[in-house]
Amino acid sequence: MPPTDAIRELPFPASAGTGSSAKPSESECEVIHLFEQFRNPLLRYVVSRGLSFQDGEEIIQEVFLALFRHLQLGKSRRNLRGWVFRVAHNLALKQHSANKRTQATSDFDEALAQQQPAATLNPEEQAASSQRHERMQAVLRALPEQDRCCLYLRAEGLRYREIAAALGMSLGAVSIALTRSLARMGRVDEG
Amino acid sequence: MLREPFHLSDQDILLLVDGEISGRRARQARAHLTACWFCRSRLGDLEGTIADFVTLHRSTLDAKLPPSGGARSLLKARLAEAAAVPSTNRWPRLVQLLPPHRTTAHLCAAVLITVLGFIFLLRHSRLQAPNLALVSMAIPNHDLTPGATRPVSIGDVCSMPHEEVVRAVPSSLRQQVFREYGIVNPRPEDYEIDYLITPGLGGADDIHNLWPEPTSSSAWNARVKDALEERLHQLVCDGELDLPTAQRAIATDWITAYKKYLGTDRYVSQMRRPALLENPS
Repeated sequence: MPPTDAIRELPFPASAGTGSSAKPSESECEVIHLFEQFRNPLLRYVVSRGLSFQDGEEIIQEVFLALFRHLQLGKSRRNLRGWVFRVAHNLALKQHSANKRTQATSDFDEALAQQQPAATLNPEEQAASSQRHERMQAVLRALPEQDRCCLYLRAEGLRYREIAAALGMSLGAVSIALTRSLARMGRVDEG
Repeated sequence: MLREPFHLSDQDILLLVDGEISGRRARQARAHLTACWFCRSRLGDLEGTIADFVTLHRSTLDAKLPPSGGARSLLKARLAEAAAVPSTNRWPRLVQLLPPHRTTAHLCAAVLITVLGFIFLLRHSRLQAPNLALVSMAIPNHDLTPGATRPVSIGDVCSMPHEEVVRAVPSSLRQQVFREYGIVNPRPEDYEIDYLITPGLGGADDIHNLWPEPTSSSAWNARVKDALEERLHQLVCDGELDLPTAQRAIATDWITAYKKYLGTDRYVSQMRRPALLENPS
């Protein structure tokens, strides 16, 4: 599912290019606009990394406050989608470490456990679908952390270079990680 | 590009459908797919796997995502607050705007206030030893805490379970460290007994590797150091820095090491974790 050009090009406001000379109110509007675009993908990503929705929301607030300062300081506007995901990834990593110390639970695991098959399926199909999802989740859990991050970021529409920037990997490594992960996922129905 | 010399590899098929190759290479791959049923069926399998994964991912979380209205309002309020606080980078511009004689006068006044403030802090701190410690102990006393390591290999360091990296310092050792530093009745929220060389870089459970690090009162505090520790660990495990160099850097002067390896002079101030924000990799 390749992302559309509209997403790839990220239609940032024309006023954005002037950096620190932009009026604060414009910067605020711009950041809010980007928040509306990226809040759900970011939240899905950080929660899938094992955080609670509450932690995820807090991280996203910090991401966009950091973005605001980034724009205020007139820093680079290239690849802002990659930038916000990179910041969110690193904050999630940090929060995840902190949570491990306190043994906080993950909303993602809870959501997986509560997941129901589509109501349109008959009971037999629902059972089969549910079993398949469990097998897929098992494969996902067994993937290397970095491969899993690549998959989740790609599922949120990031291009390879954005994933590479977010995770500090090379483009080739992203490509290999995605191919390897999908190959493993594709074998979920085998034996 | 072509596998065995007739078929596309899985990686090439994925690169093609993800739009990550272009030009002649893409044309070749598309032409092959048009001609080859075997590769087309593999493309179909791949697309099916992607669809299954996306369905699973979205169906797991989408229904549970909280509405964004509250978060949006909160962000607006916080942005307004942040906008009201002048950025530190505006100072040079402000100085440029002032006439030269006024600039000098302002700078002199600022220096005077800083000196007076420092004298006040010192005097005040003599009455309250822990506060003095907070000011001065961002960097440990190297006579007491020179740093100590245990024999480890890169493999040990990079495969260390998280629990070991962040393991707590035993209570008896903590008390001993406070005594060494002359801190009586420390407030728990003020200090973290921290490893100078983190266990994740081969630091030892030794009193010579521990000191009471300010948690938040100092600009260069435990949270900032955490960011450096993660960065050094990553560099070592990626093979970009050798372990003894990382140990030496953090033991000698972790603030200098922070500036060098995170590539910034800025530390955690208004944001909770800006070191990670600016230098994520």
